Amino acid sequence: MGLITILMLVLLAGAILSLLTKTTAQARGVALVSSFGALAISILMYLTYDANFNTITNYAFEESGTWMPSIGIGYHVGVDGISLPMVLLATIVCALCAIYSWSEGKRPNQYFALLLLMDLTLIGVFVSLDFFMFYVFWELTLLPMFFLIGIWGGPRKDYSAIKFLIYTHIASVLMMLGIFALYYFHGASTGFYTFDIPTLVNAYKDGILPISQYWLDFIFITIMFGFMVKMPSVPFHTWLPDAHVEAPTIGSIILAGVLLKMGGYGLFRVLLPMMGVASTWFIYLIALFGLMSILYSPFAALAQKDLKKLVAFSSIGHMGFISLGVAASVLAGMDPARVVAHTGAMFQMFSHGIITCVLFGCCGVIEHHTHTRIIDDLGGLTKKMPKLAILMVAGFFASLGLPLCSGFVAEFGILSGSYHTMPIFVILAAISIPFTAGYHLWAVQRTLFGPYNEYLGDVKEIKWYEFTPLAIWVIIFVILGIYPAPIIDMMQTTTEYFLLSGDILPIGGIHVPPGGAVPW
Amino acid sequence: MVDYTALLPEGLLIVTAAIVLLAGLFITQKKILGYITLVGLLASLGLILKDWNLTATFDSAPFYGAIVVDPFSQIFGAMFLIVGVLVAIAALKAYGDNPRQDEFYSMMLLATVGMMVVAMSKDLLALFIGFELASISTYALAGFDKRDPKSIEAALKYFLIGGLSSSLMVFGISYIYGLTGSTNIDTIASVFGANPGLAATPAILLAMVMLIAGFGFKMAFVPFHMWAPDTYEGAPSIVSALLAAGSKKMGFAAAFRLFIVGLVAMKVDWYIAFMILAVVTMTVGNILAVVQTSVKRMLAYSSIAHAGYIAVVFVVVAYWNAPDSAVNLAVTGGLMHAFSHAIGKAAAFIAVAAIAYMILSKDKVDDPNHVENYDGLGKRAPMTAFLFALLLCSLAGIPPLFGFTSKFVLFLSTIEAGLLGLAIICVLNSALSVYYYAKVVMRMYWGEPKGEAFVESSTYTFVLAIAVIALIVLFFAPGDMVYQWAETAAHAVTGV
Repeated sequence: MGLITILMLVLLAGAILSLLTKTTAQARGVALVSSFGALAISILMYLTYDANFNTITNYAFEESGTWMPSIGIGYHVGVDGISLPMVLLATIVCALCAIYSWSEGKRPNQYFALLLLMDLTLIGVFVSLDFFMFYVFWELTLLPMFFLIGIWGGPRKDYSAIKFLIYTHIASVLMMLGIFALYYFHGASTGFYTFDIPTLVNAYKDGILPISQYWLDFIFITIMFGFMVKMPSVPFHTWLPDAHVEAPTIGSIILAGVLLKMGGYGLFRVLLPMMGVASTWFIYLIALFGLMSILYSPFAALAQKDLKKLVAFSSIGHMGFISLGVAASVLAGMDPARVVAHTGAMFQMFSHGIITCVLFGCCGVIEHHTHTRIIDDLGGLTKKMPKLAILMVAGFFASLGLPLCSGFVAEFGILSGSYHTMPIFVILAAISIPFTAGYHLWAVQRTLFGPYNEYLGDVKEIKWYEFTPLAIWVIIFVILGIYPAPIIDMMQTTTEYFLLSGDILPIGGIHVPPGGAVPW
Repeated sequence: MVDYTALLPEGLLIVTAAIVLLAGLFITQKKILGYITLVGLLASLGLILKDWNLTATFDSAPFYGAIVVDPFSQIFGAMFLIVGVLVAIAALKAYGDNPRQDEFYSMMLLATVGMMVVAMSKDLLALFIGFELASISTYALAGFDKRDPKSIEAALKYFLIGGLSSSLMVFGISYIYGLTGSTNIDTIASVFGANPGLAATPAILLAMVMLIAGFGFKMAFVPFHMWAPDTYEGAPSIVSALLAAGSKKMGFAAAFRLFIVGLVAMKVDWYIAFMILAVVTMTVGNILAVVQTSVKRMLAYSSIAHAGYIAVVFVVVAYWNAPDSAVNLAVTGGLMHAFSHAIGKAAAFIAVAAIAYMILSKDKVDDPNHVENYDGLGKRAPMTAFLFALLLCSLAGIPPLFGFTSKFVLFLSTIEAGLLGLAIICVLNSALSVYYYAKVVMRMYWGEPKGEAFVESSTYTFVLAIAVIALIVLFFAPGDMVYQWAETAAHAVTGV
């Protein structure tokens, strides 16, 4: 049994044990042990991961076994430079969420069990190398989040929970059809039926599937739809603000911090290698989705009265950068700019995952202490909650892309790497930057500074169990902003490996004229 | 010399039924009969599992090849027996004090025998006999609560419609016999294979329509579904479990035997008809399930929707362009889905019975199955609510339960056959169905409890736990045991 299986079993055991406990202290104890155990395992994996060991058919900590051999379903897990940071992200976020929920009093056993299940299913998505397993975990992430929103959520939780469930479920089932088609055509042409992700994706990329462009595009677009809804990309984003507004704080943190990254992860793992074979305009479509998200989010955020909804819209914009970076990197051919855009997009997933935790964590603290999230009802919170103010200012500044924070590294990489191939997209995306800065600063100003709103009464300072996780997240993104190497190196090795070997990215597939692709 | 040992499972059930009926005349402590029934069912199930994959034909037997024991009959036999076991255990609680419980058990056993005979029959007459045996037993069962007008109404509706469907079926069979000179399914198929022109005659068209209607009533295809919600809602819940999980699957067993063999031989353009039937059935079932306020009625409509999913098998089989691998995969998926749905739906109806029993014990309500009474059930009856939620997950096709695997394989076959439109309609229907299952789960887990906690019946909880554990184990089953079993059965019936 390898480390990945142990990691998942630790979380599963924790979830079951936690369900059986009676008091908050017991459930919390189980959750802390289990989630920090998982964190320790993922850190161990990170430390022993050899960044240079990286091929497309071999994965670190790989395990494979049979499950349903008749139709080619196997137990196949492993990590590489794309997924290991995501596993690390999931375990960090969930472990710190367990601290953040220290005093949760409502049905604590179920609450902590769902938190651990959430962690488990997310890790499952990131480590699965078999489409059946991948899809099972992909679907399973819905359930803990559905219950977290539904049981601990706000006033419109019924609507939000069911909308979240149905909307993303429809996207998943359509994605399933794409997977079916990929599976069947690969099996029919080679006589070897399998759901193995690397095998199927490589077969698609190498163009050995004897099918028409129609079916190739069908496979691509259904899978893309599944990922784009999950990211979420404008115009498929409408479930996200509702889910965030009604979700409890840790629900929002995990949703924005890790769950959305499933879409981005799928983009790298599955779609990216396929882009050379599917119709070229899909690349522009993905870039367009990214651009629409980038442009739409600041304006939507500016109009929000609810602080949490504002942060939710900021997530949409930041996820848009990932789509843009991926699409641009595909067009870049052998140009080194590709590595920059590609690595930047990967790093954005990790970086946004950490930064957004601070933002939603601060929203949660404010709601918990002042009982409101409406920006106009707040004001001057620095006077009562100076520690919160420091964290919140740090978080919002990181989110708007301040240098020395990890968000800057990522977005700078994406924009500078993409400019080479998609200059018009990048220029349009850059329009959003002042507005992004604007809504962040304006929100901070109205919430923290100015005269104290006396209607709020006597607001207590942030509690230690709220402060600690937020501070750790802040420290992580500041360190990564100054010295991103610990995370970005392994991503870059993977990217460069792709680039040099030409094995996974469609180097020859797309015709790229010197000086970038026309007409963009 | 003919070896009849392969018929032991059915023989055992008939003997048990006779014992239960006779002993019921003399015994006053009738609860013991339930345990005898249970032992009979389990022994029969054990016999089937002991030599599954047995292929015994009775060519030289007095049955004249009318009865065959093959993996197909065994997988359906196991399905009916598992449903029977679940219902029998639940009946220990539901009818433990009823003075007429001996009749319940013996009729249930005979219904199970009838269903198993249908799955075994290779001859249309044997098939009809099994059909009628199961139907007549279940007519009586549906009206078992004879002081409850709803139960009587349910039984009457079921009886009238059932009688009509039987007559249509016989009418169709008579045409087939007239055209081919045989009632043996294999002979019929070979006659069709030898005379391709025969398949296009108006008489065969009429016969097919009659048979589709006749079987369609049992399988509750739209537009032959009208009786199903009323009957499932009005009948005692554990009888509804038997009807939705057992009797309905008997319709599928018969249709698989006849249509698949017939369609493979005919290869005529029947797929459009079946496509319309399947799509309309699943869509109508799902849409009407959404608007129900009674959980029991919602389950009835969801049962119709599931019939639509399984009907996809006929579409793929009838589609001339489908490769043989897709045909086999479809039948395999159909069998798996019938299996998962039988366990899931039987247990779900039993859960409704358990919940109604608890609600009636504490609350003053008119309709214990109304969804509003499920508010806060997660707190009032934590075990039952948890198990019911998992059963609904299985019906909705959410992992890690067997309902997901079976749906996965079934829908995979539509893509293999190249029926893209059908595949999209199927998955969207499946996504829609999540909505009404989730609504019930939401009521149970974040509705406000309307009273103090219930005392959960250990018998009911036990039944539900068995079903849920079975569904989870089947999902994780290593070496795809169920898949292989279903695939062998599919080979047995398609012959390709």
